[in-house]
Amino acid sequence: MASSTPSAAKGIKTELLNLIRRNLQTYTILIAMVAIWILFSITTGGLYLAPQNISNLFRQMSVTAFLATGMVLVIVTGGIDLSVGKLAGFVSVVAAYLQAKVWYHIFPDQPFLAAALSVLIGVLVGTLSGSIQGYIIAYLGIPAFIVTLGGMWLFNGLILLVTQGKTIAANQPVFSEIAQGYLPIGWGWGLCVVFIVFLFWNMFRSRANKRKYGFELRPLYIDLLTSGFSALMVFIYVLSVNRYRGVQNPVFLLAIVAMVMMYISNNTRFGRYAYAIGGNREAARLSGINIRDVIFKIFVLMGTLSGVAGIVLASYVGYGTIAAGQGYELDAIAACILGGTSTLGGIGTIPGALIGSLIIASLSTGLQMMNVAPAWQYVLKAIVLILAVLIDVYFKKSR
Amino acid sequence: MDPDVILAFENVTKHFPGVVALKDVSFQIRRGEIHGICGENGAGKSTLMKILSGVYPYGTYEGRVLYENEELQLRQSSIREATEKGIAIVYQELALVPTMTVGENIFLGHEPVEHGVINWNRLYADAQAVLKKYGLDVDPHAIVSNLGVGKMQMVEIAKALSENARVLILDEPTSALSEAEVQKLMEILRTLKQHGITCIYISHRLEEFFRITDRITVLRDGQVVATRPVNELTQEDLVRLMVGREMKERFPKREARPGEVVFEVRDLVAVDPDRPERKVIDGVSFDVRRGEIVGIAGLMGSGRTELVMTLFGEYARVVQGAIRLNGRAIYPRSARQAINAGLSLVPEDRKGMGLVLIQSVLKNISLPNLSQFVNGAFRINADAELKACMQQARSLNVKAPALDVAVETLSGGNQQKVVISKWLLSKPSVLIMDEPTRGIDVGAKFEIYKLMNMLAEQGVAIIMISSDLEEILGMSDRVVVLCRGRSMATLPVSEATMERIMALATGITLTAN
Repeated sequence: MASSTPSAAKGIKTELLNLIRRNLQTYTILIAMVAIWILFSITTGGLYLAPQNISNLFRQMSVTAFLATGMVLVIVTGGIDLSVGKLAGFVSVVAAYLQAKVWYHIFPDQPFLAAALSVLIGVLVGTLSGSIQGYIIAYLGIPAFIVTLGGMWLFNGLILLVTQGKTIAANQPVFSEIAQGYLPIGWGWGLCVVFIVFLFWNMFRSRANKRKYGFELRPLYIDLLTSGFSALMVFIYVLSVNRYRGVQNPVFLLAIVAMVMMYISNNTRFGRYAYAIGGNREAARLSGINIRDVIFKIFVLMGTLSGVAGIVLASYVGYGTIAAGQGYELDAIAACILGGTSTLGGIGTIPGALIGSLIIASLSTGLQMMNVAPAWQYVLKAIVLILAVLIDVYFKKSR
Repeated sequence: MDPDVILAFENVTKHFPGVVALKDVSFQIRRGEIHGICGENGAGKSTLMKILSGVYPYGTYEGRVLYENEELQLRQSSIREATEKGIAIVYQELALVPTMTVGENIFLGHEPVEHGVINWNRLYADAQAVLKKYGLDVDPHAIVSNLGVGKMQMVEIAKALSENARVLILDEPTSALSEAEVQKLMEILRTLKQHGITCIYISHRLEEFFRITDRITVLRDGQVVATRPVNELTQEDLVRLMVGREMKERFPKREARPGEVVFEVRDLVAVDPDRPERKVIDGVSFDVRRGEIVGIAGLMGSGRTELVMTLFGEYARVVQGAIRLNGRAIYPRSARQAINAGLSLVPEDRKGMGLVLIQSVLKNISLPNLSQFVNGAFRINADAELKACMQQARSLNVKAPALDVAVETLSGGNQQKVVISKWLLSKPSVLIMDEPTRGIDVGAKFEIYKLMNMLAEQGVAIIMISSDLEEILGMSDRVVVLCRGRSMATLPVSEATMERIMALATGITLTAN
């Protein structure tokens, strides 16, 4: 009896350690994010977590996040899209051009109609560009890396052509609301409640389903902790931004887009096929999946999301500039990788990419607030990216 | 020990999980001889060669391998070590870098280096010297991808010889060669023999043994059946030695009640889409009835897999002949079209082509069948999907902790059941199974056999490809024998014997006795 107690204690201890380790792996990235926030909040004397800064942080993340939600699927199928930054930039200058130079002459006093048309045309430009690149990649068989590298140069050229090297104002009343406006405080709270209710309802429904089919259930407290953590984050976010000016429009828009993308990737054939193609292209082909068709559609979707990102970019910055979208494609790719997307394909999630985007925005904002020289900002971002993936690889190996 | 012996196997045994690949193998290879090794697919030839080359290093097998009177102790993953000791393999799949020149390939990995840089002049001069010495007619500056298969093989031989190989292993060297190229290869081998190089010659084409080898060792089920001088043997002897064994109770009984013809292939000719002059399928005819299992036998390279992939719309281009399903002509151009027509294919390479290993059992089973679960335009009905997949997995007795575990964590037999589940869910009229029991243990094999019988009783027409002749005879109602892309005969199982199948598959005629 005396000997059984330590061994039982040891059993519980290893179980706990395993649990921590498993969850540490799952939530490495969340923990990293919280660590970054705590660190910056100390170095900036609490300023970092002030409502105004939280508000900025999320708005800053949104453009990268729109791109990252699409990039996840591109990388999951084993592809890459280097053109999204410049494509978003191109859409932003097109929108700015329309806002500043075109609509004014046709219907000077219709700001709403003007903004709506700018959005529509911007998103269409993105979709069309995505379709052309997708067609070349999927049906003409040119590697995505090359086609989108060409796309990047092309859109850069088009940006210069549209702007003629000058900055174009895009700060017209309705249009600037898209990314600079806020939801009323009450809406913010309402959405917060709806989201939290949905989160828990979804969790219990999924548990009930799993039980029905005899799947292994995670311990309830872990599910409760996970959902509770998400709910808490949303609550803190809404509380925080409501103390400033409310939930920002682009963040709300991002939430909708992210949910649509999650739905597509989990609940449609298209989404399933994308993951199967990335997991094993041959098996997918022999399962009767039209690989070209799926790849084509993924680039069309990526183009559409680049269009949305471009509109938000133009409205947020208030200008169309020659540097618009510079480097955003790499931020989006880094966000996916940070969020657990495998560069080998087949693995990656939309929520992961969102958190990845948030980490990148958190780093940039924090380092800016600390007045770190841009050179060192790059160095630190490099270290975080590689360290995060290293930790991820380590945990996957030791499993 | 006999100084004439260069290489000796002493009681070599090699286990794999669930299988004994080599059992107590002992024989000797004499210095300077051309020693043939023959046996059915899976008799243990490749395993033996992998021990010699260090793919299975010292310590992973039992028994001893003596090379020049010393025990061969190759370390973990050191194929180089075998080469350095003078044992070189010319691979079945040519292992050259196609974009490099002949000279670069010959010296790849041991380039002549001076002061840290490659001396290109010496490299090409040395390459030229090696090629000339052994009568290999290849230009060292030629790019490998521009050469024919025969010349590529010469480059491989030259590569082995440039590293001072004393024992040269040729694994199926003629499988991709034309008759003229085979002729040339035989000449080269004779030249090598004059230079005192020992050759181990592995082939499925029996007549070649009589053309070139001095002695032959026959393997069967991982054991040595005989080692004899070639002039004491006939082709018929060889066939009998290869297959002669008793049929054990390995196959569950089934009462065959074949119905009407469901699937029919007539005079099919198909060409490689990239090289239209190359006929991959050159005249194949057979049919399959409802509730019948038709076995397709043939040696490696006979076009079995190519045939079923073509039927499934995923490989060669059909230029002649007809495929009929339920009396209707079909010409599948993609897997989707084949599936829609009512075909299913359990592919040969389970991990490479059958499964998405990182995904769950559920997602693998539903992958080709998602359209069944879509209501409205987009949404997959998760409940319906789960229900159907669960039912299917249960009826096949897939042993998995749950449907949401990744298939890579399952055993080979259960993985195969997942593949079969996946293909049964689409309710096919014809189920094609390419090597359905490869790499799975005996118990799981029996379950797969029972499953096949059950499906046949339910009226599915099954086409089974197998390299295992016992499996062909034990499971099929009729046997189609392929040889070099052509169907040689369709035998009712009552008239099929291993000897007859082997004779048809190797293209020789047995004399009655």
